[in-house]
Amino acid sequence: MPKILIVDDDPNIRLLLKQSLEELEDQGVIFISADNGEVALDIIRDENPDVVFLDVMMPRMNGFDVCNTVKNKLEIRDVFIILLTVKGQKLDKQKGKDAGADIYMTKPFNPDEILRVARNILGL
Amino acid sequence: MALSILEKVMKKRGLSSVLATLVSAMETSVIIEDDAGKLLLSTEGAERGVAYPVTASGDLIGWVNGNEKVAAIASLLSQTADSELEKRALVTETLDKYKEITLLYDMVEKVSTSLDTKEVARLVIEEAKKILSLTSVSVLLLNKQTDSLELIAEYGHKPETTTVVRRGVGIAASVWASGRAEIVNDVHSDSRFVSGAVGISSLMCAPLKAKDAVVGVIKLGSDEAVSYSAEDLKLFSTLASLASVAIENAGLYEQLQEAFYTTVYTLAETIEKRDPYTGNHTKRVMEYSLAIGKTLGLSEEDMARLKLGAVLHDIGKIGVRDSVLLKESSLTDDEFEQIKMHPVYGEEILGRISQLKSAIPGVKHHHEKYNGRGYPDGLKGDEIDITARIISVADSFDAMTSTRPYRNGLTLEVAFEELKKYSGTQFDPAMVDAFFASDVMEAFYTASSRQKIII
Repeated sequence: MPKILIVDDDPNIRLLLKQSLEELEDQGVIFISADNGEVALDIIRDENPDVVFLDVMMPRMNGFDVCNTVKNKLEIRDVFIILLTVKGQKLDKQKGKDAGADIYMTKPFNPDEILRVARNILGL
Repeated sequence: MALSILEKVMKKRGLSSVLATLVSAMETSVIIEDDAGKLLLSTEGAERGVAYPVTASGDLIGWVNGNEKVAAIASLLSQTADSELEKRALVTETLDKYKEITLLYDMVEKVSTSLDTKEVARLVIEEAKKILSLTSVSVLLLNKQTDSLELIAEYGHKPETTTVVRRGVGIAASVWASGRAEIVNDVHSDSRFVSGAVGISSLMCAPLKAKDAVVGVIKLGSDEAVSYSAEDLKLFSTLASLASVAIENAGLYEQLQEAFYTTVYTLAETIEKRDPYTGNHTKRVMEYSLAIGKTLGLSEEDMARLKLGAVLHDIGKIGVRDSVLLKESSLTDDEFEQIKMHPVYGEEILGRISQLKSAIPGVKHHHEKYNGRGYPDGLKGDEIDITARIISVADSFDAMTSTRPYRNGLTLEVAFEELKKYSGTQFDPAMVDAFFASDVMEAFYTASSRQKIII
């Protein structure tokens, strides 16, 4: 069963992301969430999620570092990482690219868009 | 297959183990089914006894079968389902709000990108189409002179739609007067409705306000009857107020532009006044230049600096003494050298005004020749800025065809021949070709009309 990992330090955003993707649950998708980068990293290693919605700005280990570790150091390839960045915040695109993020989405995100992206990736 | 409500509740983390513990502690067995009869849980050796309903917000969502003890399980599940539904409702509402924020974010970003009133109106229509169900939109702005609202952008209207709204006529006029947004879900039952507006069944109308005054309205409608809600109106009003700010900004910018161009033109006219024989020369050179530029398909940016350059090409003549500039007999070499300084003076003058810097190449080099024998820098071919190559043709053509103190103007035919003759030496052949491909006569009449020049 496909797994989606939601990583954000703000519980409300986690809830909103989960709710945006809610109807995938009916199709057997399992949701896991993490409130910081270190926990997210452990989950990615242990549970092999298919898709990760990853917030960039987090205490301790930020999204870039998580992404970089997963893609470049651990060389886990079969995970699709969506970096979530705040709109208007100056974003170092190159940094994200180097870190190996598959795509970017900006916050505030459009819930319909989040669902569409997840569906596309999972082929659901 | 969508999961049933009870199935989702049962899947809640931890609930199934709690249930198992509970059932074994109660020393009983149980069968749990959802409302469609799907088996969700069955303990070993369970038998159907009494069926106890499980409900959520009063609706049946499943059954718990067993002896009378399992009634407690049914009510536990009902309680859990109730709170789960409540939580879901809250989250859904929050998500809706979040969607609204996203929309507003997008609207602000999009609508404020333009400083052109019509473009802003167009963007507003695009946004309205995205967020509301509609088949037509019109953006109307107040024309203070006629005291009426005039259509500046629209979507989805049939050609016969009215383009002007007068005071006191129709729903838009009413919103204009009250300054308050309105929903009219059944226009035909509204006495203010003007039946000429074809097809519309439901509409919303919101004022565009600058400070406290209404400066326009946005009206959107649907051919099919729809029920616009208070939420829709709120969203629409927000869009209207964003539009108001953007349109006001665009209006101020347009005023600024107009003031700028008027000043520029007045500056040029001031120079022209010293030399009455050249009357209207500036205007004609501008029209000829623009006609050539248009034929060449110049970019908007190049057209803008061509226009400025053409208007200001002789601005440097302010630095040439009257005794030389207005001399009716032929000039001495020394006097001619003084005349030749005017493009350089032009550069000096314009160099101080940042908005006019783009005109400098056209001004400084309009006396350069294609073969490199012009002044002040002796540039040749493509070294000469395209605006200068254009202005050179336009300026020479006008000088030849207008009467000067020292000679009568040539006929058009002769002037045309001269342009051809010097194509490739004095003029860039491509510019001369473009001149002949342009509507020269129209440019001439436009320049000669008494209308105030509109730059």
